[in-house]
Amino acid sequence: MNPLNLSRKQLALITLLTPTSLFLLIFFIGPMLIMLTYSFLEPGLYGGVEWHFYHWNYGRVLGWADGIYEEFDPVYLKILLRSIGLSVATVLCTLFICYPVAFWVSTLSAKNKALCIFLMTLPFFASMVVRLYAWVLILRNSGFANQFLEATGLITEPLNLMFSGTAVIIGMVYIFIPFMFLPIYSSVEKLDKNLLQASEDLGATPFTTFRRVVFPLTLPGIVAGCILVFIPSLGNFVVPDLLGGAKVLMIGNMIEQQFLYARNWPFGATLSMVIIFMMMIILSIYLYKSTKKQAGL
Amino acid sequence: MKKQTPLGRLLSIYSVFFFLFLYAPVILIVIYSFNSNPINIMIWDGFTFDWYRSIFGLETSLTDSSSYVDSTDQLLNALLNSLIVAASATLVATFLGTSTAVALARYRFKLHSFYRLLLFVPMVMPDIVLGIALLIFFVGAGFTLGNSTIIIGHCTFLTSYVFIVVSARLAGMNPLTEAASADLGANEWQTFRRVTLPLILPGVIGGALLSFIISMDDLVITYFISGVDSTTLPVFILGMIRRGIKPEINAIATLMLLFSVVIASAGIYFKSKNTSTH
Repeated sequence: MNPLNLSRKQLALITLLTPTSLFLLIFFIGPMLIMLTYSFLEPGLYGGVEWHFYHWNYGRVLGWADGIYEEFDPVYLKILLRSIGLSVATVLCTLFICYPVAFWVSTLSAKNKALCIFLMTLPFFASMVVRLYAWVLILRNSGFANQFLEATGLITEPLNLMFSGTAVIIGMVYIFIPFMFLPIYSSVEKLDKNLLQASEDLGATPFTTFRRVVFPLTLPGIVAGCILVFIPSLGNFVVPDLLGGAKVLMIGNMIEQQFLYARNWPFGATLSMVIIFMMMIILSIYLYKSTKKQAGL
Repeated sequence: MKKQTPLGRLLSIYSVFFFLFLYAPVILIVIYSFNSNPINIMIWDGFTFDWYRSIFGLETSLTDSSSYVDSTDQLLNALLNSLIVAASATLVATFLGTSTAVALARYRFKLHSFYRLLLFVPMVMPDIVLGIALLIFFVGAGFTLGNSTIIIGHCTFLTSYVFIVVSARLAGMNPLTEAASADLGANEWQTFRRVTLPLILPGVIGGALLSFIISMDDLVITYFISGVDSTTLPVFILGMIRRGIKPEINAIATLMLLFSVVIASAGIYFKSKNTSTH
């Protein structure tokens, strides 16, 4: 009945872990490895791949192509840099929007706090595509924003609000706000208010108190929030697709095009790997810093 | 109540604007879903239920045929797919996530930190990367893209969400209750079924509700692995918006908002009720 001489505990552990292990091995690790492999294969003529090693996919993005089959086109690097720029802008906007509100919520009574957190998380559960659609309605030429501005007499001609970097940032800020708010709020909530009093008693100005006490103590929440917003916004393709149009493509749109229209799967896989590498760099810096800090304490 | 400082008052005003920013766009959709103007859907022209009737195929007499949903059947089919996918993926992910959470909370073993990482990575993986990887895999392995591939795809990341929620519940539990059960002669399975499971059940249900709603809402991963015949509601709506704004989208969007809000409220109510009695 038990040929391997396993203890009851070991048997229970194996029973509990096997389903998830198999599932994630086949359907998560497997696909990731296949994508990594594809990024080093030659694209087939009519879609699909040729099975030999081929590193020019990376050359095409990073500016080191063979010049025969693959040309280096700076447009990819430009789009990559634009994606980083738009994501950084999104991170900064969400940070400046959420930080003060987190302090306000932390001053409320327990019951109102719970209500505010509930109201904060509710939009997160409402469909993303619906929330973005709302901004399409607002920013369109015949949309709400232009109507409002015309009615107040501020403008006479409709402004082109859609299909701009600003529109993409607004859309991303709107859908990623909860990712920034919740980590910041949890660190603000933990902040000992007596420290502020102490700092004031010791003669610090409000600004000094903020710079020397409040900011360092809430930094872990800020960093966590920035990472949680930056990573999903980097590869986003729905927001640029709906609000950016053809003018504000991001790397996510490039990946979609390579897979669904250009049918160059190896190149699409390469672009996806670029996102993974950037994500891994950010996460390892974060983990390195946070473990070093823990070790230093 | 202490008097508000000028800074505090400023902060309050700022926060009011913040919540306005958060809610005004979605409220706008709800209001304009009752607007009878079929040409410019943001110019108020009177109150109507037409768009709601139209999405359920009840309204056929309006003159402007271009303002209709392509086909009510397609829409209802997408809704049905969404529900099938979300229900199946939730069931599988809840089973996988819960068993892993119990294993990691109750046993110490060599690969402990590896499993923590394994369940953390799918959650932080950008949607588009996971979607692409799954697409390559399914096509390469000869799967036919459809509901089954969407279900598998959703399970890869939903398992992590269930794991997190159930782990949190397990961490707040007293392990001595299980020791007591063992002392009283119950075996591992009996202890799990009679002691552990009832205690973590609120976490399991919470994780399942979260999974369900995330699965219903997933756009990017589904977009890549849904194939031609089977589409879910969010992918269907994305297609509609891409082809042009029709007034029915407001009505569909409103119904989706209503649905999400009801499920989310139920989940949060359930969770708060359980932590307070805990």
